[in-house]
Amino acid sequence: MTTVANSQNKKVKNDSSTWQFLCSVKLAVIIIIILAVACILGTLILQMRPPEDYVNRYGEGLAKFFSAVQLTDIFHSYWFSFLLVLLCVNLGCCTVKRWRNTVLQIGFLVTHISIIMILIGCVIDMMLGEKGGVNVYEGKSVDYYLNRADYRKIPLDFKVYCDDFIIERHPPNYKLLTFVKNKELEKFIPPKVGNKIKIPGSNYAVTVKDFYPDAEYRAEPINTSKEPNNPGIYVQMLESNHVTAEGWLLAKDRNWYNDPKRDLKIEYLWADNDDAYEKLAKAAGEIAKPTLDVVIEGKNISRSAPVEVGKSISIDGTEYVVEIKQLALDYAERDAPLNEQSSDNPAVRVEINGPQGKETRWTFSKYPDYWDKAHQAKYKDVKLTCYVPDNFSQTANSLRIVQNKDGKQTLSYLSKGKLVSITDWEVEKRYDIEDTGLQMRILKYFPSHSIKKEVVESTGSHEGHNHGPGEHIGTPAIFVEIEGPRGTVADWMLANNPPKWYPDKNFALLYEQAGMAIKDYKSILRVVEDGKTVMTKIIEVNDPLKYKGYVFYQSSYDPEGERYTGLQVTRNPGLIVVYTGFILLCIGVVFIFYVKPFLRRKLKKGQKVEEYYSEDEIAAEHIE
Amino acid sequence: MDFTLNITYYVYIAAIVAYIVREVWRAKTLRWIAFGVFTGGFVLNTILVITRWFEANHAPMSDKYESFVFFAFTIAGVYLIMELVTIFIARVHESRLGIVGALQSLLAVWMIHSALNTDSTIKELPPALQSNWLVVHVINYFVSYSALSISFTAAIIYLIYRAIYRGRAQEIVMSGSDSQLRKDVTFDKLAYISVTIGFPFLTIGLITGSIWAKGAWGTYWGWDPKETWSLISWLVYLAYLHLPMILPKTKIKKTLAPIILSIVLLIAFPVVLFTFMGMHKLPTASDSDHIYAE
Ligand code: HEM
Repeated sequence: MTTVANSQNKKVKNDSSTWQFLCSVKLAVIIIIILAVACILGTLILQMRPPEDYVNRYGEGLAKFFSAVQLTDIFHSYWFSFLLVLLCVNLGCCTVKRWRNTVLQIGFLVTHISIIMILIGCVIDMMLGEKGGVNVYEGKSVDYYLNRADYRKIPLDFKVYCDDFIIERHPPNYKLLTFVKNKELEKFIPPKVGNKIKIPGSNYAVTVKDFYPDAEYRAEPINTSKEPNNPGIYVQMLESNHVTAEGWLLAKDRNWYNDPKRDLKIEYLWADNDDAYEKLAKAAGEIAKPTLDVVIEGKNISRSAPVEVGKSISIDGTEYVVEIKQLALDYAERDAPLNEQSSDNPAVRVEINGPQGKETRWTFSKYPDYWDKAHQAKYKDVKLTCYVPDNFSQTANSLRIVQNKDGKQTLSYLSKGKLVSITDWEVEKRYDIEDTGLQMRILKYFPSHSIKKEVVESTGSHEGHNHGPGEHIGTPAIFVEIEGPRGTVADWMLANNPPKWYPDKNFALLYEQAGMAIKDYKSILRVVEDGKTVMTKIIEVNDPLKYKGYVFYQSSYDPEGERYTGLQVTRNPGLIVVYTGFILLCIGVVFIFYVKPFLRRKLKKGQKVEEYYSEDEIAAEHIE
Repeated sequence: MDFTLNITYYVYIAAIVAYIVREVWRAKTLRWIAFGVFTGGFVLNTILVITRWFEANHAPMSDKYESFVFFAFTIAGVYLIMELVTIFIARVHESRLGIVGALQSLLAVWMIHSALNTDSTIKELPPALQSNWLVVHVINYFVSYSALSISFTAAIIYLIYRAIYRGRAQEIVMSGSDSQLRKDVTFDKLAYISVTIGFPFLTIGLITGSIWAKGAWGTYWGWDPKETWSLISWLVYLAYLHLPMILPKTKIKKTLAPIILSIVLLIAFPVVLFTFMGMHKLPTASDSDHIYAE
């Protein structure tokens, strides 16, 4: 702007008070302070919201005032831009005025010029730069993106394919939450084996003593008394010295086991008296058959018939014909052969033929009105119920392990309803089962058992459900000891189970999964121009793809199906200017505050301070 | 972990006491004792940072707990380096730096106390934070904040001395007589020196933050509240650095200038702390992408 050669000109400039003011530090400080205040306002007042938001929050009057002086979008307002321009002018003028060719000036010049560069770079980006985003489905491509400000489609002269999109997750994280009820105090403590941790503000202390990375509950019967109140036996089935099946049979609970391969049912039966014993051990007995009852409401008609698949029952006095289509012992396994189903939820499928055509229904023996509630029935007056006896089975052969109070314990083998053999049994001994090639052994007998739930370390490498093969994620468990006013208690806690309460009901622990944090998301992008692949790159957050001045950032993804990748697209032609400014600014400040003081000390020797520094500098930098 | 954290806390408290004792009975041995106690706390703090680094498998400055511990670490580190410089380079053994030491250990105590009350479970880094720029950015900021905190404590002490002694030259930190210092260092000058040490780090922190944001989000500046407030802190210190050039030209009395500058520092550091810890209090915070410290 000024040429020092023309001293006349320089004098004029120096005398002009506007010029003086434009170069002055006073203006600089004023601008800096106003900028700071503007920035503060820009974070205190909501920015770039729809007008009604302001009216709701600040009231009609203030809202009007805010939009009038552009306080609703400070950082893009005219006055803010004007301030930045003024700042540039101020910097430029003072730099020009102060220009002296000395080493010590380098920092000052570099910092001031770098700030001008940064601001100019930003302006270039604002005027010529582009910014937007686009979602690319896996396997698809785009040749455009949507402008950020107005969602305009902006064409690209190349195509970007997303060949794959990958989300990597961290293994799940577990945390231990402590809760003191009367203080409403929640605190996380590390769920790691270690020292005692006192819970602040309470007199509880928690120690994690042991840890299983993968644990499970195992229900194990234990014996509680010699009285046969709740008998159970542990049975093993063997075939040429190989255990083919083993487990507990509980007389008053799950007391049978089906071997569908051999059409064999094994039952454990307890007889309270001799009569009952005789029946259970010897009488093949008539096993009750399942029956179906049909009631026509309002007509006082009812029919009962055995469940035989394929049989049709015509209901006299009505036009209905009920055909029995299927019997299932366990509705959930209804497609499996009948003798492979356990009789958990027996049901019968029927077809009702009537004046309005066919209607298909399932009736459940345990939930008689379930179907009617859950479905719209055609023939509302037809009520169906079925009865399937608990011990009903389709198996041809059965092995009955029968015991009574007096110590009688026998093993009967029945085939097709006929008693084939009967023997006494003892614990630990093996017995051949009539022409099946099988052997049976009773390993334990508990006259009165109760089930103890126990946490044990999982051993088998069973695959879970929600993850790929080979990456089995177990359920961890910790053994915690709680000290408190009622002494010390200790127990295992399995992750994601209900909280564990201390006996005084005032302190609880919760051990739970903290979610599987996303480790990274990546897209394999391919740029195709004129039909040719010119570039491929796996982009991830912090590592974008750059092509022809465009930069593609990994910024989001389809939160539901992970089917597409969300890209942010930018073009920043001013970036090089901004970054040069950044580098210069760093060099400049380091020079001024770290290099210059040492240089100054060196240069100063033998020279007068005043020859080197202006008054301002002396004042500013406390030079004496 | 919790155990070492507790010990660190008490050692830092002991450092406050030691520095106060040293300030009252100004003996050379006491200076070393105070220095030693604070150094002890610093060493424990270093262990905390390093073990956390190994346990978490990322630079330990990515959540609230980690940044509290790390900030305490840099506060102690920067102050101790400064004290070493006064002893071995400026060769001042007789100084009033003890008051600053006491206040700096107080600040470290505050940070460790905050850490004690923060959830310290290790969290996995979200993808955006997995960047080396983040590490450079945060280290620069905490070193800068620590130096700037010294300017804050020095400014407080300066103002208190000025209030007590009313202009008599009693507010000297270090005296030049038997040292390499050519002139006495007063508390306002100490404050200025600390700002000149901290400001370059603040600038580099701001710039590396911007470069990191560009890599992660595609924008180097987005007027996000956290960004804006770090700019505000930078602007306030910038104003402080330019102010001395205009004060002599105004009608303000020469003796008042250091008071005005100290008051600016008194405002500036709370701005820095607000940028560090107060962002969630802003009405605009919900719009923010990276208020990670909450
Ligand atoms: C990192 C940022 C900055 C640093 C480190 C810095 C540093 C300096 C230094 C060391 C001086 C004294 C130069 C000398 O007398 O040799 C100075 C003067 C000055 N600075 Fe800055 N400055 C910065 C930013 C700014 C900004 C943003 C503005 C404008 C708003 C500004 C305006 C001025 C002005 C007007 C002078 C006075 C020049 C004169 O007396 O003619 N500075 N600055």
